[in-house]
Amino acid sequence: MRRPSFEELGRALDEQRYFADEGLLTAIHLALVLERPLALEGEPGVGKTEVAKVLAAILGRELIRLQCYEGLDAAQALYEWDHPKQLLYARTGEATDLYDERFLLERPLLRALRSPGAVLLIDEIDRADSEFEAFLLEFLSDFQITIPELGTIAAPTAPVVVMTSNRTRELHDALKRRCLYHWIPFPDADRERRIIAARAPGVSAAAAASLVEAVASVRRLQLLKPPGIAETIDWAHGATVLSDAGVPWPTALRCSLGLLLKEAEDVEAAAALLT
Amino acid sequence: MSRAEAHLHEFLSALGPAPAKRIDFLTALAGEPPPSLERLYWIARVTLLSRIEDAGRFDAIFSAYFADGALPVVEPVEDEAGAAQAPNRSEGELDTADWAEGSGKNASRLDLRHAREFDAGDASSALVAELTRALPRVGARRLQPARRGRLDLRRSLRDPVELRWRDRLSRIRRVAALIDVSGSQREHSADYLRFGHALLSTVDRGEVFTFGTRLTRVTEPLARSAQIELADADGGTSIGSALQALLDDSRHVARVRGALVVVLSDGLERGDPLPMARAVERLRRLAYRLIWWTPLGRDPSYRPLTRGIQAILPSLDSLAGAHDLPTLLDEVRRIPATCAGPRRRAAKEWQ
Repeated sequence: MRRPSFEELGRALDEQRYFADEGLLTAIHLALVLERPLALEGEPGVGKTEVAKVLAAILGRELIRLQCYEGLDAAQALYEWDHPKQLLYARTGEATDLYDERFLLERPLLRALRSPGAVLLIDEIDRADSEFEAFLLEFLSDFQITIPELGTIAAPTAPVVVMTSNRTRELHDALKRRCLYHWIPFPDADRERRIIAARAPGVSAAAAASLVEAVASVRRLQLLKPPGIAETIDWAHGATVLSDAGVPWPTALRCSLGLLLKEAEDVEAAAALLT
Repeated sequence: MSRAEAHLHEFLSALGPAPAKRIDFLTALAGEPPPSLERLYWIARVTLLSRIEDAGRFDAIFSAYFADGALPVVEPVEDEAGAAQAPNRSEGELDTADWAEGSGKNASRLDLRHAREFDAGDASSALVAELTRALPRVGARRLQPARRGRLDLRRSLRDPVELRWRDRLSRIRRVAALIDVSGSQREHSADYLRFGHALLSTVDRGEVFTFGTRLTRVTEPLARSAQIELADADGGTSIGSALQALLDDSRHVARVRGALVVVLSDGLERGDPLPMARAVERLRRLAYRLIWWTPLGRDPSYRPLTRGIQAILPSLDSLAGAHDLPTLLDEVRRIPATCAGPRRRAAKEWQ
């Protein structure tokens, strides 16, 4: 699919079993139309990373992922010179120019520029040092990289860029200015039911409804770590396995709470709520 | 310019986004007129907003301009250049100032009565020097030029006369200071804030919070200027709920995770000490080391016997006394020993 219309995009996402609301649909649609990077923020587990994977599947393009971490630098994100190879060629005297393209090692960002229309996922950008954001500025605004020894490499077709952040720190304004921005909230009850129906097919409709209601009230508690969608699906699976084995549904929910919540204090608080 | 378009530009002026965002918004509208108000809302929000904290302000301005449900029509002829140069007759500086972030944050009248200006003074250079020496370091993943280490082929190749090396950059671990500024700390809070200021000028990943009646993150103002105004100075304390407020905010949690956490407080908790004990234990698990400095601790007759301190003692890695700059300096010198030893030693040391 080259550039789906708003409605086509919604249907295609549904087919991929990704249920986006109007806001997220608008954000993705605009990112494709305006050829702008899309910055996604939200609580952990609301499906930020998934957006890039699903987009790559819909558009039928390659997904290139750059996982950010503390200390990530240009050599690992943009490009690096292949020094051993350069040394070898220098010895044999074959190469006249040691800074030739064949000595260039592609890292994710450069690869995204060179493979036409790839989907680039810059995951958890807040984990990288704030200095790293400076490397991204040229890339995100013009889809090009300047290599001092070689010149500027620009993308023939703009890649689709999805950037996610868990907001452990504030991103620089210069970076955000170049992006479209969307905050993904927790899904409403209706959408969460659809997600469970699609991802955990064994769960009955009534059970899914009570489960979604329970998750919503658990999220309203002051928890250390509110459960995301993946945890909800795990919980649905777990509780269903127990109830198939003959455990009554409310007890099954309570016994499998460890799948939903990963902190002892949270499990305690939620168990009190569910009794 | 049509009326609908003028309306749109007034909306943009009220919001005051960066020019690049304005162009994105107008280009998006021109490409495909929104079929519904909801779609217009999302188009505007995705293109014009860049922080979720501003969503409330955005919603208010949006509904002020589009509450009547009339959709603006933008002629598709509007190109990027035209949008960029669109005249802003009423560039809304006034409006944006009214909405500036945090303007109403410390507006509680009751608290403001006790507002007091602190003069944190210049960072004491002795403190900075001592902090640089004493604070724990971590190896970053990034490499930097060094005398020895791994071969730096890139630099060696550029100037192949001698070999160049690089090694892992070492930098000071994250540090977070939590300063009690309540009434019982009145004499000490000025020096504590000086310590905080010195800390922030030493550590590039330092955080300082103050707590009295509530928790306040003061990292930016305290790093920038020596003068900071605290709304809840000299009021009552609720250490438990202040620490809980820290732990409830996932961004604050990220700021203390793996950090050296120093709490400067007498630990006098009115009422039930249990919530404080629970919060301190969680803080200890998040932190690299948890150090507690009380202004009373230098008294030779001091024993950690109050109910509050008793409740948190098992969670502390170190409990010591510091009440002015010389004693703070002294305690800073002991940080390496605390970091080198096993955790939760405070209870054993004060037996």
